[in-house]
Amino acid sequence: MNFIKRAGLYCFRQRFKTLILFLVLTIISTFILTGIAIRDASVGATADVQTAIGGKLLLELDTEGHMSSGQNSWGTVQSYNGDLITNEIVDAISKVDGVVDYNSEDKASFYGAAIDFKYLPASFNLSYTSYGEASSYTATLSSEKCTEFQNGKYQLVSGRHMTPKDKNVVLISKELADYNNLSVGDKINMYCMDSDSKVKFEIVGIYDGTEGTSGNALTVDEIPANCGYVDYAMMFETFGKDYLNGYQQLTIYVEDPVSIQNVYDKVKALPELKGKTLKLSIDTDDYDVVATPLDSLQSLVNTLIIIISFVSTAILTLLLTIWIRGRKKEIGILLSTGKSKRNIIAQFFTETVMVAMVAFASSALLGKLIAGKASDFLLSRVTSGTANLNIQISAGYLLPVYMIGIVLIAVSVAVASWTVIRLKPRDILSKMS
Amino acid sequence: MCIMEVCNIKYSYDGRKPVLKKVSAKFELGKIYTILGPSGCGKTTLLSLLGALDSPTDGQILFRGEDIEKTGLAAHRKNNVAFIFQSYNLIDYMTPAENVALTSKLPPLPILERLGLTKEEARRNVLKLSGGQQQRVAIARALASDADVILADEPTGNLDEDTAAEITDILKECAHQMNKCVVIVTHSNDLAKQADVVLRLKKGELQTKVR
Repeated sequence: MNFIKRAGLYCFRQRFKTLILFLVLTIISTFILTGIAIRDASVGATADVQTAIGGKLLLELDTEGHMSSGQNSWGTVQSYNGDLITNEIVDAISKVDGVVDYNSEDKASFYGAAIDFKYLPASFNLSYTSYGEASSYTATLSSEKCTEFQNGKYQLVSGRHMTPKDKNVVLISKELADYNNLSVGDKINMYCMDSDSKVKFEIVGIYDGTEGTSGNALTVDEIPANCGYVDYAMMFETFGKDYLNGYQQLTIYVEDPVSIQNVYDKVKALPELKGKTLKLSIDTDDYDVVATPLDSLQSLVNTLIIIISFVSTAILTLLLTIWIRGRKKEIGILLSTGKSKRNIIAQFFTETVMVAMVAFASSALLGKLIAGKASDFLLSRVTSGTANLNIQISAGYLLPVYMIGIVLIAVSVAVASWTVIRLKPRDILSKMS
Repeated sequence: MCIMEVCNIKYSYDGRKPVLKKVSAKFELGKIYTILGPSGCGKTTLLSLLGALDSPTDGQILFRGEDIEKTGLAAHRKNNVAFIFQSYNLIDYMTPAENVALTSKLPPLPILERLGLTKEEARRNVLKLSGGQQQRVAIARALASDADVILADEPTGNLDEDTAAEITDILKECAHQMNKCVVIVTHSNDLAKQADVVLRLKKGELQTKVR
């Protein structure tokens, strides 16, 4: 009778031990399987985040060494005397391969007093223009790319976002629109105190998200609902080239985050940027916010898989040692019939592997249940919902589980058997009797 | 014909007082040998050395003229000798047929039936058999191995008088009809009387008496 048949008989006849071994191996393999699935899901989520967030380059003014002091009616003021980001630069950048979009966002760069509409009132009405108090507006090329729309604080509820081609358009809050009974397509007029001119705007979009954020505002521009978005084309025309001849910063969106360095090199090499006092950098802040917890999760899971493997080996070795020590009589009989020690260890290994084959397959079913729960838990605790962690147990994951499992079993059986097999056959038989 | 020879073997535990001192003996096919002696005199040790369960401290054991240390102890156990123990030493999760199949590629049922077990008993768990039946299974396993030498350690020690007599007859049949060399360690004078050669161990030395 060969060792495979003996192993089969043992597993079949010693059903209680087989059941215990099955449960232990199922639990171990489920842990390892779920760990591998979480790690892979986290790697997949990181790749998804990279694609979803994309890459960004940031072009800014290099203020270091390019600031000068001057005097005006308010006292000493510091002003930038270097190069600005001109439309020529923006045009050149927009034509670089891999650049999909760009935006500049300058908060509170336009102050407009309402001529034919009213702002939501604040505690004080300062009325420092003939049209009353002015509120601040963010000048932008693409309102969709502005911080509040990107982070989900504001949502467009009517109309459209403004694009770099727009001129004399405005996005206002739903609160302000409702207060003045305004809708998309309506025209409004504002008085710009800085340029001492009146500007006519078309409302192209209305957004919400400002509700309940007014607080106890002292001035109208402290009420978020009064602060909208205006286009840069209007800004350049209203203020003129002497006063405004470029952008403070430009965010450049790259199609493939993997090739961001390549795009960076191309932009950096543009002749329009040569010798300019501008700084170009790769902006990974958005990606880091989402990817850092995923990276930490991967490291944690890798460590857990190693720890589980070691602990599992220890538990399995302990269990098998107890059982094999209880099988001294059988070992003695087999040795006395001429079976080699290697043949006997092969029997113990085969027994455990036979049970493991079924246990590992069962762990795929159990793992599917656990993966669903783990996915929900990790989505809320680790990624805070910012990344989709799709933990799935596929047949492909069973291969590493079988490989790791069989190595663990081989180590456990070898260590457990050694406690008895190392003895002389006669010693085993005398201990047995 | 001399099948196995013990040449000046010595044995001691951890180099202390020797259990066996320069023991020599020859064993022939077709004969039944008994090894007698007081408890602790080294009877089972000598049987273990003959069966390659242990190695002598000094000296040689030859099987068909070859040193078993050189041909391999496991190979000697597998091919040349078969054991029968006092406590039967059957694997408890196997049936008698499966226990016999451990050493044989031949169908085990005819061997078991020849030794008086029915087909139903041959397929029962060994623990559900009587002591005599279990010892018959152990003998069947020894016979199934087709080894020339059968080494039996107190084979009738746990059996009643009638069953012991039956087992003794079977062992005699093994020696005289199947041409095996049967070496039995025993305290039983009745069993010793059935032997062709009686070996007596005393203070580590062997005395031989041929009937």
